[in-house]
Amino acid sequence: MHKHSLAVSLSAMLLLVVSAVVQAQDGAWEAPRTPDGNPDLNGIWQAMNSAHWDLEAHHARRTPVPAYGALGAIPAGLSVVEGGEIPYQDWALEQRNANRADWLNLDPAAKCFIPGIPRATYMPLPFQIVQTPKAVFFAYEWGGNSRPVRLDRPGTRAVLPSWMGYSLGHWEGDTLVVEVTDQVPDTWFDASGNFHSEELQVVERYTRTGPDSMHYEATITDPNVFTEPWTISMPLYRRLEENARLLEFKCIPLGGEDAAYGHLRRGATPE
Amino acid sequence: MKHRLSASTVTFVAAVLVVTGAAYAEDEKLVTSWGVPDLQGTWDYRSITPLERPAAFGDKATLTAEEAAELEEQRRQQRAARAASGVQDVDPSQGDVDVGYNSFWLDLGDKVSGTMRTSLIVDPPNGRLPKMTDGAIRRANERYALWGQPPAGPEERNSYERCIVGFNAGPPVTPGAYNNMMEIFQSRGYVAIMTEMINDHRVIPTDGREHVDESMRFWKGDSSGVWDGDTFVVTTKNYTEHTAYRGTGPNLVLTERFTRTGPDALLYEYTVDDPESFEAPWTSAIEMRRTDDPVLEYACHEGNRAMTLMLRGARHREQQGTAEDGKDWLASWYGGQNRVDAAQEALEAAKEEQDQQDP
Repeated sequence: MHKHSLAVSLSAMLLLVVSAVVQAQDGAWEAPRTPDGNPDLNGIWQAMNSAHWDLEAHHARRTPVPAYGALGAIPAGLSVVEGGEIPYQDWALEQRNANRADWLNLDPAAKCFIPGIPRATYMPLPFQIVQTPKAVFFAYEWGGNSRPVRLDRPGTRAVLPSWMGYSLGHWEGDTLVVEVTDQVPDTWFDASGNFHSEELQVVERYTRTGPDSMHYEATITDPNVFTEPWTISMPLYRRLEENARLLEFKCIPLGGEDAAYGHLRRGATPE
Repeated sequence: MKHRLSASTVTFVAAVLVVTGAAYAEDEKLVTSWGVPDLQGTWDYRSITPLERPAAFGDKATLTAEEAAELEEQRRQQRAARAASGVQDVDPSQGDVDVGYNSFWLDLGDKVSGTMRTSLIVDPPNGRLPKMTDGAIRRANERYALWGQPPAGPEERNSYERCIVGFNAGPPVTPGAYNNMMEIFQSRGYVAIMTEMINDHRVIPTDGREHVDESMRFWKGDSSGVWDGDTFVVTTKNYTEHTAYRGTGPNLVLTERFTRTGPDALLYEYTVDDPESFEAPWTSAIEMRRTDDPVLEYACHEGNRAMTLMLRGARHREQQGTAEDGKDWLASWYGGQNRVDAAQEALEAAKEEQDQQDP
């Protein structure tokens, strides 16, 4: 372990020296590179906001499960939506409000279903990026879900729709741009009923902004549900603990089954 | 665990190189840009080689090319005969559709492992699982007895049916009925393994870091890896009490060895060391083949209609007043009514013995 810590400190020092040199040259921070020359997105990252509760501006509200007391209350959050509000079609706004009214029964994530993109990004748990020249692999701690972003298959299509969708990436300058298509219509954007149809298309942008931060942006297009495309953005932060690692959050036995099958347990009130 | 690698495993690795003939020449070896072996690609671990050596093979450890071809041809003919029999994949005499997998689902391939062994188990040398401990047998019997009953809730079914872990996704990774694919991604300091089965992953550090505290228990255990020459050696421990691979318990220490043995071949070996469950460690090996097939998302839990139907069926039987008759709940999937009966009898016998000793 001593050897390991020393190696970490040495590489950290080296990184500082390299950054200092880069800054000295042109005054602007430049992202470190992987061996193949692309910005290095490797690491364990996490959003630090309450977008997973509600993408739009919201003040704090009571938990619907009083047993948790104040610990279960939903924290306030500023809107992460550019322009503040999601541009719903009229019928869809009504649908969103109905979803919200029956949130605990309807939110697919309550059942531990795969959150889809972009929601997986800002679930309140970290994810790890393993970046290669051909693919950027996203490993999400929440639910243990996986998503490969393919850099080497431009123009290909998904074989089938899926919960995480089909992700094709390319570099635009220092930004990883990911086009996500073919997601099933069953996922939500947050725990406040914000939803989409099978026509959903998401374009994500990942840009390093500093040694321990990244800018995340996702533009959402779905002509069935929205009047125009809309964009969310937020910073992502590196987990800085010396021993940071993805842990296990298998949410099926952690409440997912209660939400999915609680009504079918022995002794439960029949449907 | 390295020091416990048995002599037979070492011999075995040498044997593979001889059998496959095409040794992986030093100048052909794929390495990453930072200088470690490149294990990346999508790996197919379908195999008709059984875990344990069938009795018919006796002392025979390896297959000749002719014998392998014959086994593969037999398997193809069995499959063809089954397919030709129409939709009756399910034995109607079971009076149930509890083995709901027809040939659409089954995707075990039709090739023996490139290791050319008569079994996946290479140690002990007889190719058979070592004896299970009394504790492990009791645990297994308790599970079988439970699975023979209508479930009160999802907790009474196993972790595979609950989609918490994949039955072939590991660790250890083992050939199973379907979804026998995994993809490896590498970045400096990490090897990530994505399994098609249940869309799961492990991101394994390569710095041999200490495992998480003993008190932390994971369904998939906690994996830590280190490079040993051309081989990535991964140790996994801290399993939950519910994680059971072939009857293992929470204190299993699993050692996996990943070695690329050619552009399209990955030798995967694992050693199960769990003195609480098996009287000796045992080691299994398979040669995975590289494939260009896409890994698809297997959304197991999201599509788990089976759990809903099982629970609904159980509640229905309770309403009908027939729940108590049933020791026959999905019995055949787990080895049949006989296995459940045997488990229940063994548990009753043990209880009687205990009562006699401890009146």
